[in-house]
Amino acid sequence: MKKEQIGLEEALDSLEQIVEVLEEGKMTLEESLDLYEKGMTLVKLCNGRLESAQKRIECLTGELPPDLS
Amino acid sequence: MTQIFTVTDLNQRIADRLENDPRLHDLWARGEVSNYIHHRSGHRYFTLKDQGSSISCVLFKGSALSMDFEPKDGKNVMVFGDIAVYRPQGRVQLVARALKQDGGLGFRHLQLEALKKKLAAEGLFAQERKRELPLYPERIGIVTSPQGAALRDVLRTLGPYPARIILSPAQVQGDGAEESVASAISALRGRADVIIVCRGGGSTEDLWCFNSEIVARAIFACDVPVISAVGHETDVTIADYVADMRAATPTAAARMAAADVEQIKEDLRTAQVRIMRALWTNLERKEERLEYLTQNVSAKRMYSLARDSRQRLDILCQNLDAAQAEKMQRLKSRLELAKGRLLAVGPRATLQRGYAIARSDKGLILKTQDVQPGEEIELILGKGRLRCRVLECRDDEEEAT
Repeated sequence: MKKEQIGLEEALDSLEQIVEVLEEGKMTLEESLDLYEKGMTLVKLCNGRLESAQKRIECLTGELPPDLS
Repeated sequence: MTQIFTVTDLNQRIADRLENDPRLHDLWARGEVSNYIHHRSGHRYFTLKDQGSSISCVLFKGSALSMDFEPKDGKNVMVFGDIAVYRPQGRVQLVARALKQDGGLGFRHLQLEALKKKLAAEGLFAQERKRELPLYPERIGIVTSPQGAALRDVLRTLGPYPARIILSPAQVQGDGAEESVASAISALRGRADVIIVCRGGGSTEDLWCFNSEIVARAIFACDVPVISAVGHETDVTIADYVADMRAATPTAAARMAAADVEQIKEDLRTAQVRIMRALWTNLERKEERLEYLTQNVSAKRMYSLARDSRQRLDILCQNLDAAQAEKMQRLKSRLELAKGRLLAVGPRATLQRGYAIARSDKGLILKTQDVQPGEEIELILGKGRLRCRVLECRDDEEEAT
């Protein structure tokens, strides 16, 4: 999993899948530990993306009005 | 024989002729208002026109009292009244007794209807063509005026949603607005995951550029879904028909464009709780604890995970509201319980105290029937193992008596 490139949508999708598989409970402990760690990494990644949400507004032409930049 | 009139007589005669014609009384006329003058006297003077012709109109003060709107230049109206001749100038005029706003059937509206038909026939409004909006767009394009309130509404509503916001400025009313909006839309090609085309409320004239063919085609040609939000709820433009989604207001458009950050955070918290719960449920359900140790999964890793989880739970507890905190508390005690049980059943501590695990090829030996005299078995001690041979199988009861 390339952490830098994975988007919020993709991350949330895989997280949802992991939760479902884990809740089914059909895998070995080893596997469920792996999934648990993967899931927690994704949670961290998503939270990080949400926290770092500086509003990044760009303007294609001309300049942004002063109250927005 | 040729009759010679004075001008006054002539106008009088024309007046008699026209004013006595019943077909020129109590009539409705439809057209566009121009040169509208609200005179100091209280009378209104204006010209009613269509593409080919015009006629002077007057609305006297008395009739104006019952009027529920004030006409202005460019408005389409229906005029009720009588034809009369203004004798001093020999001018035919329509003396209005009532005025009504003419909704949608003016020349421009006929053109609009024709354009709608044409674009619909080409499939620009087709329902099958509408695309799903992305749930979590990374790049949100906005086509609007940088000065407008609409832009501020959209930005405020998007709030802390983590996306790049790309403003493509456009002139949204007046001469050249159509071209400006169309090229601002095209400029976002390849730069956005979803596009909002918006402007705030205004008169029908103000919003007119969103009814143009060039804007419709620009939206149609977009490589990503487009949300249109033009004017208020009741204003529906051609842009709204072509767009993949129509929003009643710019604020509503922003809500459609991106998920609510608080909601995502909430979902994340729920996902964490579910993952942890599922993990522990797995642990408890499986009754594989001994097997787990013999399968070389490091107990150290197990315990460090338990520690991590507890820390995460602590952090989560702080973040959650009271009701959820209580739920977390339950989870936490379950976690403690599971940890305790794990420690208790984990054989190492017990073995250290002098106990041993006995097993044969068939598995753990829990009762005498599990082995036969002479069979080879294994004893697992606190440190190391012994290979042994069974000499005798004796039941507990005998010793007890």
